[in-house]
Amino acid sequence: MMMTNPNDDMLEDLFADARGLTPAPSDDLMARVIADADAAQPRATAASAPQPGLWARMMDAIGGWPAVSGLAAATIAGVWVGVAPPSSVEDLTATIVGDEVSISLFATDLVFDAGVLSDG
Amino acid sequence: MNASPDPYAGAPDAALLVAYASGDGQAARILTMRLLPRVLAQATRMLGSQTEAEDVAQDAMMRLWKIAPDWRQDEAQVSTWLYRVVANLCTDRLRKRRGVMSLDQVAEPLDAAPSVAAQMQTQARMTALSDALAQLPDRQAQAVSLRHLEGLTNPEIAQIMDISVRSVESLTARGKRALADLMAGRKAELGYDDDEPE
Repeated sequence: MMMTNPNDDMLEDLFADARGLTPAPSDDLMARVIADADAAQPRATAASAPQPGLWARMMDAIGGWPAVSGLAAATIAGVWVGVAPPSSVEDLTATIVGDEVSISLFATDLVFDAGVLSDG
Repeated sequence: MNASPDPYAGAPDAALLVAYASGDGQAARILTMRLLPRVLAQATRMLGSQTEAEDVAQDAMMRLWKIAPDWRQDEAQVSTWLYRVVANLCTDRLRKRRGVMSLDQVAEPLDAAPSVAAQMQTQARMTALSDALAQLPDRQAQAVSLRHLEGLTNPEIAQIMDISVRSVESLTARGKRALADLMAGRKAELGYDDDEPE
C-alpha cells in the first residue's frame, strides 16, 4: 500500500471540515442583499412608472402648470368682464355698438302669423 | 400564511437575472434565496471568518445586480460567474491579510465547555487554513479552494478561472503542496496529534 504524507492527511481533514461548513445566511444578510437589489434596479423604476396619460400630455403641450394658471386667470377675467363690465368697458361698448342692442332670437312675426292662420 | 405557487420554479438563474433587470423585483428575491447560501458558504470556507464572509457575499451579490442589465444569457452561467467573483473577492482579502497577520495569530479557545472548545478548535482550524491560503499566490489559492473546499471538478474550475484543465491541475498540485508545508508545523496546535480533542 502506498504511504501517504501525514501532512496530506491533515490537509484532507481540514478540507473536509471546510466543506462541512454550510452557514445559512442570516435574516439580516438576506435583508441587506435584497435592499441592495432594490437600490441597484434603476430600470425597475423607469419600467414600472406609468406612461404619461392624456392629461399629462396636454399639460406638457401647453407648457405645464404656469401656463394653466395663466389660462385660468384669463378665463376668470373674461367671465368677470362679461358679468360685471367695468364702466369704462361699458362706455366703450356703447360708443362702438350703441346704447341698446336688440337681438331677436325668434322670428316673432312668423309665430304671430302662424297664430292668425290657425285662428282663421 | 400560505405561500403562493412559485411562478419562477424551474426558471434558470440567467432568466431571473434578465427579469430582474427588466424591473421584476420578485426575481431578485428568488435569486437571493437561491444563490446567497452558496456564495456565503464559499466565502466562509476561504476566509474562515463569518463577518468577512458576509461582507464578501453581499459585495458579490451587489456585483451581480449591477451587471444584470448587461448580462448575456449565452455567455456564462450565473453560478460560474459568482464562483469567480467570490474567489476574486476572497483572494483580495487574503492578500491584505498577508504580512498583517502571522500564522501564529490564531484564535485560541478561551475557558469553555468541551463542546464549545471543540467548536472553537474547528474555528481555529478554519482560520489556520484560511491564513495558509493567504500565503499562496492568488491563482493557487483560488484553484485549491475551488477544488478542495468547493469540491468542483477540474473542468469546472477551468471554466471559472478561464484557464486550461492542465493549468488547473498544475495550480492545485502546487497549491496543495505549499499548503501542506505551511500547515506542517501546526499539527499539535490544531489538535491533529491526537485524532480529536477531548
